[in-house]
Amino acid sequence: MNCPIEDRRPAILVAYAAGELDRETASALERHLADCAACRPVAAGQAAVWKALDAWEAPPVSPDFDGRLYRRIDEGALSWWEFLTRPFRTMPLSQALPLTAVAGLLLIAGLLLHRTGPTAPVASQHEVVRANQVESTLDDLDLLRQLSTADSAESGHPDAM
Amino acid sequence: MGVAAAATLDYDAELMLRVKEGDGTSFGVLLEKHRASVIHFVYRLVQEQAVAEELAQEVFLRVYRSRSSYAPTAKFKTWLFRIATHLALNWLRDERHARGQERLDDGPADLPARQISDRRPSVEQEMVREVKREEIRRAVAALPEKQRAAVLMHKYEEMEYTQIAKVLGCSDSAVKSLLFRAYETLRARLAHMEAT
Repeated sequence: MNCPIEDRRPAILVAYAAGELDRETASALERHLADCAACRPVAAGQAAVWKALDAWEAPPVSPDFDGRLYRRIDEGALSWWEFLTRPFRTMPLSQALPLTAVAGLLLIAGLLLHRTGPTAPVASQHEVVRANQVESTLDDLDLLRQLSTADSAESGHPDAM
Repeated sequence: MGVAAAATLDYDAELMLRVKEGDGTSFGVLLEKHRASVIHFVYRLVQEQAVAEELAQEVFLRVYRSRSSYAPTAKFKTWLFRIATHLALNWLRDERHARGQERLDDGPADLPARQISDRRPSVEQEMVREVKREEIRRAVAALPEKQRAAVLMHKYEEMEYTQIAKVLGCSDSAVKSLLFRAYETLRARLAHMEAT
């Protein structure tokens, strides 16, 4: 007997084993299998393969799978600030505090050095020097005047009168 | 393409578009829905559980990292399995180059943990099952990589030929050819395993 589905046998028998055929087509195929010596062993073999593959269980997924994934996502999504500060986040307070203090001192020192830079303070320093010099000169003149007055009084010079 | 337009494709693509817009919860939904199937698919391809989980992590990382450029041109699952297949096949090729084909002849690796049921099977029954599982594992491992991937997607993910073709980057007829040859090989190796 010629098999009417010989050309499509693999497709039909794979679909039959997979339960992909509608009920009517499946019933027609089952009637055909009862008579067809060529299709019957293929169908039986495919059913056995299907059942064997059903028995192949995959191991359960690790409970921390999501946690690991989200950690990797977080690591990839860090900003530059988070990236720089991340090593300190898990540091104990006893270690973090001295480091923070040192960093603060360095920051303050840097700011002070910046403020006493070479430009603006030079001009004000000159102004201070000039005022002192003028004041000192005036004091010196007063002293000279007092000395010359005293000398004149002692010598009877008329300018001293 | 907006969220409304993507809804005509599939719900997962819609979720992925929400991820693209910054909705992390939608990524969690996608992960919950596809986590097991991706890991199991990759496990059956590479047959090492630790490697399968590592590769699956990479799959979901790639999904997340490419969210900004995501365009729902195909079903989300097709895209997901395309990434998974690509990574798994690359790993298999690297592994084959590194270690040759010895893995196929190795002893059992990462076999699933024994299930303890109320009707505890006898030691003999469990040994028979173990032998069968190992035989199945070896039969699948002996298939060429693309045939193996096609069978796993067809059998365990119930994917249609068109979808498998898109994942593997070949025509529908090529997928049918891959599948029928793969099942023919499996029939030759496993048909003696009658239902027990």
